Amino acid sequence: MSHPQLASIFNKDEKKVNWHDKALWFVRHKRDMSVHHVQGWEELRNLGHGIKAHMLSNLNSYLEEFEANAKKNGVEVHWAATAEEHNQIVHKILRENNAKKVVKSKSMLTEECHLNPYLEADGIEVVDTDLGERIVQLAKEPPSHIVLPAIHKNKHEVDELFQEHLGTKPCDGDPQYLTGEARKHLRQKFIEADAAITGVNFAIAETGGFVVCTNEGNADMGAHIAPIHIACMGVEKIIPKLEHLGVFLRLLARSATGQPVTTYSSHFKKPKADKKMHIVIVDNGRSEQLSRPDFRASLHCIRCGACMNTCPIYRRSGGHSYDATIPGPIGSILSPGKDLTKHSSLPFASTLCGSCSDVCPVKIDIHSQLYKWRQIITKNTPQPFIKKKSMQMMGNIFAKPKKFEKVGKIARWSLRNLPKSLINSKPNAWGKARDLPEGPKQSFDEWYNERQQNKNN
Amino acid sequence: MGSRAKILAKIKANKPDSLELPHIDPSIFDEGLNLVQEFTKKVEVVGGNVREIKSNIDAISQVKTLFPDVKVNFSTLENTKDFNTLDLSSIKSPQDLEDLDILILESDLAVAENGAVWVADSQLPFRVLPFITKHLVLVVSKKHIVPYMHQAYLKLNNAPTDFGVFISGPSKTADIEQSLVIGAHGALSLTVFLKF
Repeated sequence: MSHPQLASIFNKDEKKVNWHDKALWFVRHKRDMSVHHVQGWEELRNLGHGIKAHMLSNLNSYLEEFEANAKKNGVEVHWAATAEEHNQIVHKILRENNAKKVVKSKSMLTEECHLNPYLEADGIEVVDTDLGERIVQLAKEPPSHIVLPAIHKNKHEVDELFQEHLGTKPCDGDPQYLTGEARKHLRQKFIEADAAITGVNFAIAETGGFVVCTNEGNADMGAHIAPIHIACMGVEKIIPKLEHLGVFLRLLARSATGQPVTTYSSHFKKPKADKKMHIVIVDNGRSEQLSRPDFRASLHCIRCGACMNTCPIYRRSGGHSYDATIPGPIGSILSPGKDLTKHSSLPFASTLCGSCSDVCPVKIDIHSQLYKWRQIITKNTPQPFIKKKSMQMMGNIFAKPKKFEKVGKIARWSLRNLPKSLINSKPNAWGKARDLPEGPKQSFDEWYNERQQNKNN
Repeated sequence: MGSRAKILAKIKANKPDSLELPHIDPSIFDEGLNLVQEFTKKVEVVGGNVREIKSNIDAISQVKTLFPDVKVNFSTLENTKDFNTLDLSSIKSPQDLEDLDILILESDLAVAENGAVWVADSQLPFRVLPFITKHLVLVVSKKHIVPYMHQAYLKLNNAPTDFGVFISGPSKTADIEQSLVIGAHGALSLTVFLKF
């Protein structure tokens, strides 16, 4: 289904949409309060952008440097060209170690690769340990936001889910009680785990180490208890030097939730003597995106989610309406590069207001890229008949001033005089759930000329 | 060709011309912070507590007042062996630390702008300690507070560790309807003791 179709399903529950809209705007507001207190914030964003751009322009060398250093640290490094290969590698590591129970912390990459169903098919238990991810896992849904995976669920839905799956008591959706029960339930999973899978926020070429950020402490509970730690990363997670973390850790949490830094910023480098550490480096279309000059900056993304929180479309259509691993504005410029036809409606899910670009901590020109994808998509994928024809007609009208004037006059008259049932009839998408404005008596042109004349008199 | 070679070749072919690496000048962010004041404010903002102590003995007595009911205790501070009820040499695997009530660690790096305290591997017989404990107490000297993350990494550049973590406040989540709940999977509380 297209974005508008899925969005209209989400919009059936108006109260929920309003809550979703306000909750995310509140997160955006917290971000503002936090970043306005940072002296040199814009400089910090420029640095983030510049370091990532430099990294991409030397990515193969940095990946090799990272690999060499990680190996020196006693970490095993694997390379996966595709999602399928990533899943095979992780599966093989688990099988070789006879690991049947796996705890996983948040990793959008493993979502992208659909790792969980792949492992579950072989009887391996995979438990998502981030609370939000656990909620959507129990509900058998994908995350709807990259930082707030269960933002589309209200507390009563969580209450019911936990009663069904964790045997909790009815609590009228008390977050404190539900979180406490989840802690107990997942503590058991951590203790029993044979292996832990985490994502990677930043991988440092010069040290071969990597950083994982969480607020809950779930990545660390998994990685330090289980005998095997598998960290999965996209090729673009590399940063050249340790000192660059100073820039990115200052940007990340402030942009994501307004916190000055995440509760835990864990720097992994060498495994303990009795443990094993693996890193899986994944391409899965990223090198292809690197080849597109207009779109390669999308690979700067540090997955803070700020563009989602600020987006008027995302806030009112929900993450699931994007039907993509990464929803929202950033997802809408990443996804078409992977499957242009499947994701062809996403770059249109925007008002092009530019707020996403304004809040992006690494200054990705998201709204310009959305516009550029539209040009490509309109040329390369079949467009709905009405849209195609109306665009041709509008193009024709806009190109001819005389015609424009005449059509404008008719339109203004129609808006004033035709019945609403006709104006808001089905072909007019703008008349859905809203009234069009009263048609003015004059066009702007007429108004302007009259004004000039009055001035001269 | 294996995937490694394939990926690297494709990236090499597709990457743009080399762009310069920007230089970080920490002075542009400097706003002359009062380090102790800012650090204290930020730890409190992220849900932690800050107290002053005069000595390690003072730390222990304050802990006993703050947490009267704890049973399983461990401290790595000097001269606080009597406080420990846990013998780490008897611990075989990290799972056995599950009942730990309180852990006291010392750090030599804290960051004013975000209330983060660095905990390094050298302090940790088991890496899971600061996460699995119910209550975490970190002891830092005031002179070890730096203003921003930039200064923190200058220091860490010269002190490589196999594992280390910046901890800012107790573990938390807001995944249920955006309601903040302190105490997710890691420590339920964080207290930072500042000493001279």
